[in-house]
Parts: sequence; structure tokens; C-alpha cells
Amino acid sequence: MLIDLQHVSRSYGTFEALKDVTLQLEPGRIGLLGPNGAGKSTLLKILMGLLPPSSGSGRVLNYDLAQGGTALRRAIGYMPEADALVPGLRGAEYVALAGELYGMPRRQAQRRAHEVLTCLEMEDARYRLLEEYSTGMKQRLKLAQALVHDPPVLLLDEPTSGLDPAGRTSLLKLLLTLGQEHGKSLILSTHLLGDVERVCETVVILHQGQVLRHGNVQELRTHRQDRYRLQIQGDPTAFLEELRLEGVRVIHDNGRGDLRVTVPQGWLTRAFFAMADNHGIVLRGMQRDDEELEELFHRVVSGDRNQESGVRSQEPGDRKQEPGVRGQDAP
Amino acid sequence: MGPTLLNYRPWRGEFHAPAWSFWPIARVALSMMFRRKLFWAIYAFGLLSFLVFFFGQYLLAWADSQAEGEYVNVMGSRLQAGTLTNQLRTVMRLNGTGETYRNFFAYQGYMVMIVLALAGTMVVGNDFQHRSLPFYLSKPLSPWHYLMGKCLAVAVFVNLMTTLPAVILFFQYRTLYSWGYLPDELSLLVGILGYGLVLTVFLSLTLVAVACWLRKTVPLIMVWTTMFFMMRPLSNTLVDGLRYDPRWRLIDLWNNTYLMGNYFLGLHPANQPEWYEAALVLALVCALCLSYLTLRIRAVEIVR
Repeated sequence: MLIDLQHVSRSYGTFEALKDVTLQLEPGRIGLLGPNGAGKSTLLKILMGLLPPSSGSGRVLNYDLAQGGTALRRAIGYMPEADALVPGLRGAEYVALAGELYGMPRRQAQRRAHEVLTCLEMEDARYRLLEEYSTGMKQRLKLAQALVHDPPVLLLDEPTSGLDPAGRTSLLKLLLTLGQEHGKSLILSTHLLGDVERVCETVVILHQGQVLRHGNVQELRTHRQDRYRLQIQGDPTAFLEELRLEGVRVIHDNGRGDLRVTVPQGWLTRAFFAMADNHGIVLRGMQRDDEELEELFHRVVSGDRNQESGVRSQEPGDRKQEPGVRGQDAP
Repeated sequence: MGPTLLNYRPWRGEFHAPAWSFWPIARVALSMMFRRKLFWAIYAFGLLSFLVFFFGQYLLAWADSQAEGEYVNVMGSRLQAGTLTNQLRTVMRLNGTGETYRNFFAYQGYMVMIVLALAGTMVVGNDFQHRSLPFYLSKPLSPWHYLMGKCLAVAVFVNLMTTLPAVILFFQYRTLYSWGYLPDELSLLVGILGYGLVLTVFLSLTLVAVACWLRKTVPLIMVWTTMFFMMRPLSNTLVDGLRYDPRWRLIDLWNNTYLMGNYFLGLHPANQPEWYEAALVLALVCALCLSYLTLRIRAVEIVR
């Protein structure tokens, strides 16, 4: 068991940041989602043994939260959201220092630092001063210092913060590889739903100090029978008109041939092909449009509100900003 | 194409206890200082007083043994060797007694103060300014390990500037002349180490606390200067000028370390407060610094 929390609460004075959280999670790639003030930071502090719970008990990797402090943090590689760099050091020195602080002997820490930086394709930047690193390199360097002692668990706080799309994709691929091929458990705390969707298999949704939902992302999503995603090629005007006449409602059209539609009861999917054929349209793709993580999140947080009122999908280029759960940006 | 992690290998080794992390923290802090050319310039300047004492003792031994009764040229004027040795012994107190080392510590201390004022930001302040604290505190250490590592860095520097040269001077004098009664010599050596210990503990705690508080170089220098340099003329004015009680000298923290040093070296300066009063003030300041640091450096700050 990776995380086993039993009725954990944490108060700051009269404010209750975590309320009776009971959570069992197996090792894997876990996304921690929640708007600001949901209790994510408090949960992270408790999981790292930095803050004792006000009540309740728990274990992380079989270390007791109340007593496991330093031993627990040795089993976790923490990648902070803040830069957390030591100015004046060079990349290899920084990662080796992290290894030494985790308790590795100096020579091994140095050797391992070079290994990890090479794996993260930073061998050319190893001897550069940290102040000279770009944002993407800083993020990779922070990942390197979390990986240097080869921990079973990586705790990542907003790992893609400040990255450009290419850098973000690259880092998320790395995380996915670490989880899938090297057996690392990841706890990804983020407000970017897309990051969780791409990397995590399990999600924990926190809201107002409570765990609203947790489990496998695929299982938590609603599997819809009445919604499809279509990819078409050709002039869609007549095709769309006929769809409307047949009672199919287009809920989103990105103008580049990607559609999301709701079909009436008893609809047969082969009707799409027949209509496309009638209007000289090539139907390149069709798939059932199950609930997205963003929709799942908003449904859970806002108490199962109707999700068909214009929630936009996360198509590349379809929006300028990644959908997030920071603050009050829920629909 | 991004990184592929194809060459990622697991690491299986033995971890050290968290107490081992003192030294890496201190080493990195010291390396930050040693990489600055300005530091080496000030350090070299600071060692000038050591060189004056070192070669002064050598000159004394030479004049005693080889130039007795003769005239020597010193900076263009002819002096009798006896006059020269007398000057060196009485004015500069190059006589191998506690006064020699007390004076050395006092002179050297001014340079230490200047370097520490500049180094405070590099050693501690930058961790707050550049938000490096989460890097340290997310590791399997307690905030105390971090603090002790930083204090160790300051301690190494203070001892490199004061205690180590003083011990070298101690052995040099005994090599040039002869060893006295062993218990007396040992007591003097312990006195030197004690003075060094007082400076080490007091300066490291104070510097780390002030640097945590102020973080930036200019405010740190201003407060540091006020604490250690401005209090001297003020206390002198109060006690010597306005004839206040000598206890008013206790506001001068640097003088308090001097009094403690005198106590360790078996000396009793006139018109000064008692050593235990100075010790009490220093202990109080150290306790205040520790309380502040306890509040300021909390591991829970690493996740915001």
C-alpha cells in the first residue's frame, strides 16, 4: 500500500484544512486535484511527514506519519514548485548535494548525479551555473535532484509550471516513463487537469478539505452512450444540416473537422457513414465521447451539475489556456 | 525528441544518518564564499595582522639571540636591539603570554566582522531570497540540521581567521624560545581555544539569525555594523566620558566577547564589567537568536 490514511484531519486554529480524510491508494501514478484551499498543500505536508495530523493516523510506504519523519522523506523524492535552486552551484554539484542530503556517500552522490543528469539529457549543461538555466532545464534539474537517490515515490508539486508546450510534453513523457517503465510511484499535485490526464491512472479530488472522489480515472469517468467525437474531411455544411434534421446536436465544432455530437436515443452509428457518403464527406474517425477528466472534476466538485452546458474540450490549439482548477474557475 | 531515460539505472546503497548532512551544507556555504575574489582579498588583508604577529615574534627571537648589544636599522633609523625587543614586548605584547593572543584575537576580530557582514548573505540570506530553503528542508533533515550546517560554515571561517592563527602563534613562540611549565602552557592553550569557542558560537548564531532576518547585503551590513562597531564609541562615551557605571559596556557585544576571552586567558582588564555579566549578555543574545531561528525556519514552509 502506498498511502493509507485513516480519518486524518488537520486544523490551523479554528480553520480545518483537512476533514476526516480516509484514503487507501496502491502504488501507481496518482494525480492530486483540487482548487486553491482544497487542502492539497496540507495533504502533501502530511504525506512528507512535515506536519503531524491533528487527529487520525496514516502510513506512507508503511512509515507511520507521526513518527516516520526523516525516514519517510528519504523514501520520497520531492520536486518543489518553487525554483529551490542554490545560486552559485553548477548543475552536477546541485544534484550531488541533494544526494548527500538524502544520506548518500559523497562519491556515490557525485557519480549518481552525473548518471541522472545524463539520463535526463542534461550532460552538456552539467557544469553550467544554475542561474544560467532556462525554465525547462530548471524543471528537469529539480526532477534530477528528486531522482538522485532512486526513491520509490516521487512527489511532484506543479511540475510543468512555467513550461512552454514542448517542454511540458517532454517533461510529462519523462514522468510517464518513470512510472511505467521504472516502477516509480508518482503523486502529482497540480491544477492542470491535462497533466493528470496524460500521466496519471488514479486521481484524488479534494475539495474544502475533503476527498470527494478517488480511484481509477477510467472507472470514475461516466461512459456515455449518447455522445460521439467525429473527425471529418470536406465541406461539412450540408452534412451538419442533415445531422440536425435527424436530431443530432452538435455541441462543439472546432472548425477544423473535429466535432462532438449528442445523438438521440436509438441512434445507429452507421447512419453517420451513410450521411457522410451522401454529402461527399470523408469520415476519418468516430469514437464514443466519454466524460473527460475536466468534466469529471467539475461534476464531482459542483455536485453532478449538468455537464452538457457547453464544457469545452481540450483539443490542441482549441484554446489558449490549459483548463485548470485554480481558484474559482469551475463553470 | 525529449529525454528517454533509456540509461536510467536504479541505485542501491546505504544511506548515512541525517547528522552527516551538516558537512555538505557547510561545505557548500563555504564554497560560495571561497569562489568570490573579494573574499580572498579581505581574507588576505585579514591575515596581515597574523603576519605582523608572526614575523614580530620571529624578529624578537632574532634580536634576542643574535643582535644583543648591537644597533639595527629599522625603517631608516638606528635602534639599539635591546630597545627594539623592549618595544616589541611591551607595546605589542609579543611576549607569549595571554595578552599576546588576546590582542591578536581583538585585532583579527575586526577583519572577521567585516568579512562576516559580507558573507552573511552568501551563506544564509540567499537561501531565503532565492527560495532554496525547500531544497534543503524537503530532504530527510530537520531544520536544526540545516541551521547547524550553516553555523558550521561560519564557525570554520571564524576559526580559520582567529583560532588557527592564534594556535600557530602559540606554537611558534614556544618553538623559538622554550616551553614553560607545562600546566601553565596548557592552560594558555585552552584559553586560546576557549576564546575561539566563544567567538565561534556567538558569531555563528548571531550571523545566521541576522542573515535570516535581513537576507540582503546592505541592510545586513548596516545592522551588523551597528551591533559590533557603533556600540563601542557609545559605551566608551557613557562609561569614560559621562562616568556611568562600567556595566554600560555590556551593550557592546564585541567587548563582551573580549571580556570572555580575557577570562579564558587569565587576564583582568580594568574598568570593565565582570566576565560572568558579559557571559550572561552573550548567552541571552544567543538564546534570542535560537528562539528567532526556531520560529523562522520551519520545515512546513517548503510546501506552500
